[in-house]
Amino acid sequence: MIYYIFSIIFLLSIAPLLLGFIKSIQMLLFYKKMVSIFQPYRNFAKLLKKEVVISQESSSITKIAPFLVLSPLVLIVFFLPPIFGNAFYVSFMDAFTITGLIALSTFFLMLLGLDSGNSFGGMGSSREAFISALVEPAMILNMFSISMMAGDLDIAKAGVNLSSHFPVEHMSSFIFAGLSFFILLLTETGRIPVDNPQTHLELTMIHEAMILDISGFYLLLIEMAASVKFVIFASLFASLFMPIGLELSPIFALLVFIAKLFIIAIAVALIETNMAKLRLFKVPNLLGVAIVFAFLSLITFYVLEA
Amino acid sequence: MIDFFIGMFLATLISALFTTRLYRLLFWYSMNSLALAFLALYIGQDINDNPLIISGMVTLIFKAIGIPYFLKKLSLKHQINRSIPPNISVHYAIILIPGILVFTFYLAQPLSQMMSEHANYVAISISSLFLALILMMQHKSIAPKIIGFLTIENSLFLLATTATGGMPMIVELGIFFDLLMAIVIINLLFLKNEETA
Repeated sequence: MIYYIFSIIFLLSIAPLLLGFIKSIQMLLFYKKMVSIFQPYRNFAKLLKKEVVISQESSSITKIAPFLVLSPLVLIVFFLPPIFGNAFYVSFMDAFTITGLIALSTFFLMLLGLDSGNSFGGMGSSREAFISALVEPAMILNMFSISMMAGDLDIAKAGVNLSSHFPVEHMSSFIFAGLSFFILLLTETGRIPVDNPQTHLELTMIHEAMILDISGFYLLLIEMAASVKFVIFASLFASLFMPIGLELSPIFALLVFIAKLFIIAIAVALIETNMAKLRLFKVPNLLGVAIVFAFLSLITFYVLEA
Repeated sequence: MIDFFIGMFLATLISALFTTRLYRLLFWYSMNSLALAFLALYIGQDINDNPLIISGMVTLIFKAIGIPYFLKKLSLKHQINRSIPPNISVHYAIILIPGILVFTFYLAQPLSQMMSEHANYVAISISSLFLALILMMQHKSIAPKIIGFLTIENSLFLLATTATGGMPMIVELGIFFDLLMAIVIINLLFLKNEETA
């Protein structure tokens, strides 16, 4: 039980660090002076002190929505696969639950964008709806396929099963699911081929457009939600698609897990520096590839059992 | 491990189907051949078959490095148009490709009863044959069609390697020399294409 609580606190607290790490790797690759990897924490502390300004046109949704954006994501963190072997974990979340909870969070983010009544908010919300509609089928197929391979519909149990005996005979469907999930990771966390988290360019912004009007504590909540979303996806990728190190002693298991998270962060940073952002109407092509791979993983598993 | 390389083979082929740039297509073809070469080397080492190891090495040198490099040089020399938008739009391809895969997987079901092992590899190589045909079909210009032709050869090699444990090396080498001849002829084809365009 103590490991369970520790791992939740650990995941929530390492979340901003990962984003800071990605940022500083990017700065290094651009030959710029590196930002400290603790910069997101400083931003959060700064936002906490700032005053909250709410637009006159906005309704009570603006006051409620930031909490409802963050809370489904925090809920997911409780049901993630365990970091330590033999640790307590909650068997609750299957492919549909996780997709639904992420969709709930996205729904309130879209409401928040629409609520302030400025044109950017509506634009950002419509783009987000467009992308999340394409993400969901791939996500469900993907999670379903990996849990079939692990032999249990529950995701936390699937992580444990994969680590205890890796399905070598299902290697090819495992690869397809992994490729598809990595595309989903980039898409859902708003990284570069789909969305650029650093700019406020009106032609391309998606996530930033929805939160233009938010300030102070509410902005802090939204930013925290973005970082928690990244850590959820990174930790799912680490537990389900790199299933090693769970059987080690707790300290080593934790170290291996942190190493896996940082490897994912480095991969994301490398992709961000080496790729151009896709045009909005090219994004369905990328997600189409994700859907094809997810579906392929499922049919390879069922028909060929490979 | 064989499953891993076969998975990579199919994954790179599907990525090649969605590309719209010639050099990216060459890169995916090279990755496809690389997966195939490692597969041949791995199986060759596994069943201790020297000819298969030699074919794997030849695949690695010629198909993964030589042919993409040579085609890139050729397309630079003849200034081939590098933008190759596929004829079949991506939205249809998303439905078409899984459809083909399901179809070929079920097509190969009777085969799997005949063979005791490696039945699903046969299914995957037949489906990659079909996907390579799609690659040839969906482009109008000559360069991607050539890549499609080369990919068909790759999937035939995969079929031969996995279904029979390697064909005789003399056949394999014959096919390699055929391919090299084809590349020389393709040079002429590019030249012709340039004259008519």
